[in-house]
Amino acid sequence: MWVPVAGVPWRLTLSAFSGAGRFCVLRYQAARWKDVPARNSRGLSDFHPQLLPSQGFGESPSWLSKCRLESRHYITDPRLAETMVRILWGKEDACKLFLECNPGPGILTQALLERGARVIALESDRTFIPHLESLGKNLGGKLDVVHCDFFKLDPRNHGVVKPPSLTSQVLFQNLGIEALPWSKGIPLKVVGIFPTKNERKTLWKLLHDIYSCTSIYRYGRVELNLFINEKECKKLMANPQNPHLYQALSVLWQVACEIELLHMEPWSSFDLYTQNGQLEKPKCRESLGEIQQKLCFTRLTPRRNLFTENLTPVNYDVFFHMLKQCFMKRNAKLIDHLHSLSPVDAMDILKQTRKKEKTKITNMYPRDFKRLFETIECSKGYTCKWLYDDFMEDIVI
Amino acid sequence: MSALRWGRGAAGLRWALWPAGCPCLLAEEGAPLRGIWGRRRSSASPCEQDRRKDWGHAELLEVLEARARQLRADHVSEVTEKRVDVARLPEAGSSQPPRKAQAGVEAALELSGRWARKLDKEKRVMQKRKQQLEVKLRQRAEQRARKQQLHVEPRLQSRQLAARLQQWLLHSPGSPWAEQLTWLLREAPRRPRGEERRPADGTAGARCDGQRQRLLAFLQGCVLVDQPALAHHVLVVQHGRARQQRGLTLPMYNAVLHGWARKGSFKELVYVFFMLKDAGFSPDLLSYAAALQCMGRLDQNASTIQRCLKQMAQDGLQLQELFTSVALCKEDQVALLSAVRKAEPTFSPPQPPLPSSQVNTSPLLRDIYDKDQPASYPRQHLPLKMLKSLFQEQLSVEMATTVTVASVEKAPSLTKEVLQARKTLQGLRIRWEADLCQVLRETKANEAHAAREGRPSLFPYLCLLSEGEFAGLLLQTLQALPPQGESLLSLAQQLGLRIFNRHVVQRKQLGDEVRALERRYFEYLRLLASDSRVVVSRLPRQHWEALGAPEVPHEQPWPLPVVVQLGKQLAEVLVQTVKMPGRLAERQDSCKLIPVLYHVYSFRSFRQIGILKPHPAFMQLLATAAERTMTFEAAEVPMLCPPLPWTSPHSGAFLLSPTKLMRSMEGTTQHQRLLEACPPTQLHGALDALTQLGNCAWRVNGRVLDLVLKLFTEKGCPRLGVPAPPSEAPRPPQSRLPRGASPEHKAELRRELARCLKVAREMHSLRTDALYRLSLAQHLRHRVFWLPHNMDFRGRTYPCPPHFNHLGSDLARSLLEFAQGRPLGPHGLDWLKVHLVNLTGLKKRESLQARLAFADEVMKDILDSADRPLMGRKWWMEADEPWQALACCMEIAQAVRAGDPATHVSHFPVHQDGSCNGLQHYAALGRDSVGAASVNLVPSDLPQDVYSGVATQVEVFRRQDAERGVQVAQVLEGFISRKVVKQTVMTVVYGVTRYGGRLQIEKRLRELSDFPQEFVWEASHYLVRQVFNSLQEMFSGTRAIQHWLAESARLIARTGSAVEWVTPLGIPVIQPYHQDAKVLINGGIQSLTFSNSGDTSQKPNILKQKNGFPPNFIHSLDSSHMMLTALHCYRKGLTFVSVHDCFWTHAADVPVMNQVCREQFVRLHSQPILHDLSRFLVERFCSGPRVKKVRVARLLDMLLSVPKTGAFNLEQVKHSTYFFS
Repeated sequence: MWVPVAGVPWRLTLSAFSGAGRFCVLRYQAARWKDVPARNSRGLSDFHPQLLPSQGFGESPSWLSKCRLESRHYITDPRLAETMVRILWGKEDACKLFLECNPGPGILTQALLERGARVIALESDRTFIPHLESLGKNLGGKLDVVHCDFFKLDPRNHGVVKPPSLTSQVLFQNLGIEALPWSKGIPLKVVGIFPTKNERKTLWKLLHDIYSCTSIYRYGRVELNLFINEKECKKLMANPQNPHLYQALSVLWQVACEIELLHMEPWSSFDLYTQNGQLEKPKCRESLGEIQQKLCFTRLTPRRNLFTENLTPVNYDVFFHMLKQCFMKRNAKLIDHLHSLSPVDAMDILKQTRKKEKTKITNMYPRDFKRLFETIECSKGYTCKWLYDDFMEDIVI
Repeated sequence: MSALRWGRGAAGLRWALWPAGCPCLLAEEGAPLRGIWGRRRSSASPCEQDRRKDWGHAELLEVLEARARQLRADHVSEVTEKRVDVARLPEAGSSQPPRKAQAGVEAALELSGRWARKLDKEKRVMQKRKQQLEVKLRQRAEQRARKQQLHVEPRLQSRQLAARLQQWLLHSPGSPWAEQLTWLLREAPRRPRGEERRPADGTAGARCDGQRQRLLAFLQGCVLVDQPALAHHVLVVQHGRARQQRGLTLPMYNAVLHGWARKGSFKELVYVFFMLKDAGFSPDLLSYAAALQCMGRLDQNASTIQRCLKQMAQDGLQLQELFTSVALCKEDQVALLSAVRKAEPTFSPPQPPLPSSQVNTSPLLRDIYDKDQPASYPRQHLPLKMLKSLFQEQLSVEMATTVTVASVEKAPSLTKEVLQARKTLQGLRIRWEADLCQVLRETKANEAHAAREGRPSLFPYLCLLSEGEFAGLLLQTLQALPPQGESLLSLAQQLGLRIFNRHVVQRKQLGDEVRALERRYFEYLRLLASDSRVVVSRLPRQHWEALGAPEVPHEQPWPLPVVVQLGKQLAEVLVQTVKMPGRLAERQDSCKLIPVLYHVYSFRSFRQIGILKPHPAFMQLLATAAERTMTFEAAEVPMLCPPLPWTSPHSGAFLLSPTKLMRSMEGTTQHQRLLEACPPTQLHGALDALTQLGNCAWRVNGRVLDLVLKLFTEKGCPRLGVPAPPSEAPRPPQSRLPRGASPEHKAELRRELARCLKVAREMHSLRTDALYRLSLAQHLRHRVFWLPHNMDFRGRTYPCPPHFNHLGSDLARSLLEFAQGRPLGPHGLDWLKVHLVNLTGLKKRESLQARLAFADEVMKDILDSADRPLMGRKWWMEADEPWQALACCMEIAQAVRAGDPATHVSHFPVHQDGSCNGLQHYAALGRDSVGAASVNLVPSDLPQDVYSGVATQVEVFRRQDAERGVQVAQVLEGFISRKVVKQTVMTVVYGVTRYGGRLQIEKRLRELSDFPQEFVWEASHYLVRQVFNSLQEMFSGTRAIQHWLAESARLIARTGSAVEWVTPLGIPVIQPYHQDAKVLINGGIQSLTFSNSGDTSQKPNILKQKNGFPPNFIHSLDSSHMMLTALHCYRKGLTFVSVHDCFWTHAADVPVMNQVCREQFVRLHSQPILHDLSRFLVERFCSGPRVKKVRVARLLDMLLSVPKTGAFNLEQVKHSTYFFS
């Protein structure tokens, strides 16, 4: 799964970048020293941390600084941006429409634009927007900047939708993006960093979106290329071989998407900004735990064959429930769970899915769960196939 | 083979060692025995595996042994070995030497070579092992035998005490126990334990408290079911473990003492005293009471008792108090008295002061309890004989604990299918009952075993009712389970509470309590009945109290963890036991059984909730069978005779079922504690008001019920509040999706499905609710019934029966009318008409005259509605409250058509509503002139409307802002109406915040179709600010008081106490908002965690205390006003009931009620309410040594700065027509 970064073995890249912090000069030298091609550091002069405040973003609105103290990470390292572009560009026929979440200072945006891609920058922080817009102008207009938070698209509380949360329908209509059928290719690629807060919540929300074909997935199999916490990433990719990390979330993601780990990058390569565009002091952020952690650049591509005759957006919630229920008592045997999942005869199901009576939940691979679900779904002669009831799930995430 | 045989032998031994009757303990006890073999396995079937592993080994041995057999002369018989028992064990040991000699002989026989040596060695090893085993088994057997006996002798920590005990046991076999006791009592406590007994803080303390609670409950339970030996045993075990001894408290020892005292077992009693002293406690009144009681029963000689009493006096305990402050049942008290009399023959127990002689002295209630004026009060309209027979009926209902009511659902046609389903169900139930009884017996044995091991278990609670009763209760629960299931926690709690109630009812039936109750009640009825006279004039409560001694101590409620644990245990039994054939259609018995109940989880965001869910096939079966009966608990149905008058915080209302005077969240005890602590006279106002509210007789309005039932059994009518049957639920599109349907299409379908399901579920719950109500109404048709009342913690009153009462929706209210009729009199008809117009909601802003004129105008429609409600012009259906309007139309039609309306006897209740009652109280408190005028405290020709007033004020502000160029203000032009602000103004009294207010206004703005929706957020934000400003402008005093109350509450909560106060009527109030105390109940199918916010050992929840205080305080005022009005109305002989700030009476009596209502409002607010409050709070929270703390000082400052009041003249209220209208 470890995909080498184009050209540079990833180990090398990492050592080149680790510890470099945001001191550009140092990093430049380090890079030279490790004999990384010099052109990788191109564009350095364009960017300097001091640039941001001096750009005069004006006073941030008072309500903004008051209500949000959450800080974000941004890609500020041009070399990292370069690497990412190379990974993202991939095959020749791949789609060249990128949706970048919270580009911040716009280093990656710039790299993508220079490569000739069309980029939509969804920035939730107003302070960065003028800068991004100017970036678009300078580089030939293939950039749309929208004040919007990708991870707050289509809020589920049915209340007022006020920026930075938007509905995907409005957003995509304004951008003129057409929906592609599920069976066709990829309509666009999303690039960004997972919010450090509410990571799991966001993961669940995206899962519901995929399985129900709503939000961004109305427009086809949108590919996510996101930096995820290393721990979380390992959980996503867990299977019976590492049962400690294996959980309902892993199964659901692996059934839904092909998951590729593209690249790993230490936390230290990212800059942390508070909400109103201030660079945070390194002292307070660089707690030991964070430094040792890495971010994994992960590609999540929805599977073309996710939906079948028996697993559809109509009944996906039953599938969700089945998995949550199973992993509640994860060391129990499958057969015990079947009794409280479905009135269909448990032995029949086991026979059909070719599982033994002693099979435990943690021994089942994601595909086994899918097959199990489909077997129960298409069992004949039962008026009621599931004991599950919509009442039981309250999907507000 | 012999190894194997030994294994079996051991197993056989294990069986033999077991006491008959608890075979289920085997699995658990297998472990230590297995340990002997040195092979301990954690697998599920260890014995099986052991045997298999030994197999190879055993096979070899078998061969060897076969060869050796012929050589052996005396072989220990297999059979005897298998049946080895405790008695034979020594014998087996003594047969050892000859066998050793045998080995020598064997060697002599020329079985040469390695085999022989090996065999020899093998045998020797095995014999050695066998010896060891036997020794161990013997020890174990002894241990077991010892375990079988319950511990009696205490294990003491103090050497001195232990030595003393030993000495007495050995050397003075006669009856030294009395001496022992006196010696013990004389001894000072060994260790000063006071300090270290302070509960540890934090979670450890909480857990410890939980354990203590459970242990105490166990001990008390044991005493309750007459098993003091078991309680004693557990106490000895716990006392013997030094670590656990720290968790023991004096009440625990007292509980066991009490148990022995009842039995008259003096020796064991003294043992407990030994332990009590050993733990460092000094006996209190309860301990002495137990000792004396025991001596009384045993007829001990006077000198011992005298010494005991002397010691008691030295400990500073009063003899009199034994009879006043210790709650004992009659029998115990007699024993106690006989003991005391022996020592002091002249002693007579202090007579409790006659309750009727004590009178409440509150200035507000002076008129009520004035002895000079003869009291008059509404009597029942029924003769004595009738009432007596009604009592008998109610008594039999409550003894049966459940009421079976026929359902009003349309009867299914009795097809073969239906009959078959009913038969199947019947068969299943019979089987389930038997199975449940069986499993319950096993559970009980399990719990008994746990208790024998020294652990507090549920055993005593499982002894309270018979298995059959438990099984019946469980099956009833199963029957009532909704199709989507119910959370295990609430199910467990319900079950636990029901068991408690049944137990209380059963206990009351044991003695001759029921007969005594009957006698007293019949005497009491002479006051109420229409055809009897009582010489002295008294209120019903006073009369009841005068008729006999105060009642026996009531059953203490069980602690919540015990309730839930018991319920959970039973729910588990239900889940495990109740099974049905997998395919009901197949009649063979070979069919596999599947469980009827499933334990599943529901996921709410990141929380999981355990749910018990019935199998769909079972629900299907129930639906097909369509049985037409439903079962209610006796306390859920209105009473058939006048309720018992309230005389104390826990006696009143139902005849047998326990009812609390103050309803509260389960697990909160502080309300009861406060009520019990306050002097009895202080509560008289509340007790009398509740008694009188409950004494109002009701009947069902048959004509309305007929109409409702007609709609109900057909298609329902959601518009009129009659829920539709499930057949009317929206159906999801039936057609299957085309093969190539897009995911989006499917997602659409899913949403549609979910919507249908949601609607169907809502309809189902509405339908069930209505079904209960209508079935009960049908059940009570042609009957007279009573709705006993109690109150919440602020004093607001509620009827106790939950499903059918006058508090519910329009439909529920229209079904009820007074059982007692009153002639309309000269103005009654006019009041009926005004009431009708009020119900339509059409002329809210018009004067009474205009409303009356309007009623005359539409008289044709009224008569048409009354005559042809469903076929005619249906004028009534357009009313705000259609069903009540219809009932009123019918009443008017009857009155008009009677020859003389003034003599028409009307049963119809007429309502008078306070207009924005909360604000009325605030305005009166703050003497706000503007505010008072806008809520009709000031006489005026037309009713004032506070909502319009606020809207006007907001409009003024808006115009100013618009001129200043504020964009939102400009956008809002023409959109500010009464409707937009109404909800916010209404709820502001009850503490709605800006946040909540904004949401309310946002909702209203969204409803306006022409309002530019993109401004909704900003506009609602702006409006809520303006509404609050306007209120500030109009009710300046109100806002100041609200602020003062909230800030005081915050500061009080900050000092670590919950806010308390006393209502003007004397009811003590405490806010039950604390930080959640988590209670964890482990084990079984699921660990249950529940939080209890009423736990007083936790810190108060500051936010809730603060936000809750202003509205709760206002509620305590409006409840005082209601009770005062009620009491004074009764004094004038009126029928009066209320729904909080809506007062009901007969049409003829409306003017009197209106006058009383205004007078009492003025009198209530003439009291210095805020100053009284301030004084009370200062005394309660700022006195004593605490004053020095900074926080307390700040609180004191706040409390002393009582808000200034305005210049409003309160007397004006008396002449305001629209104050209540």
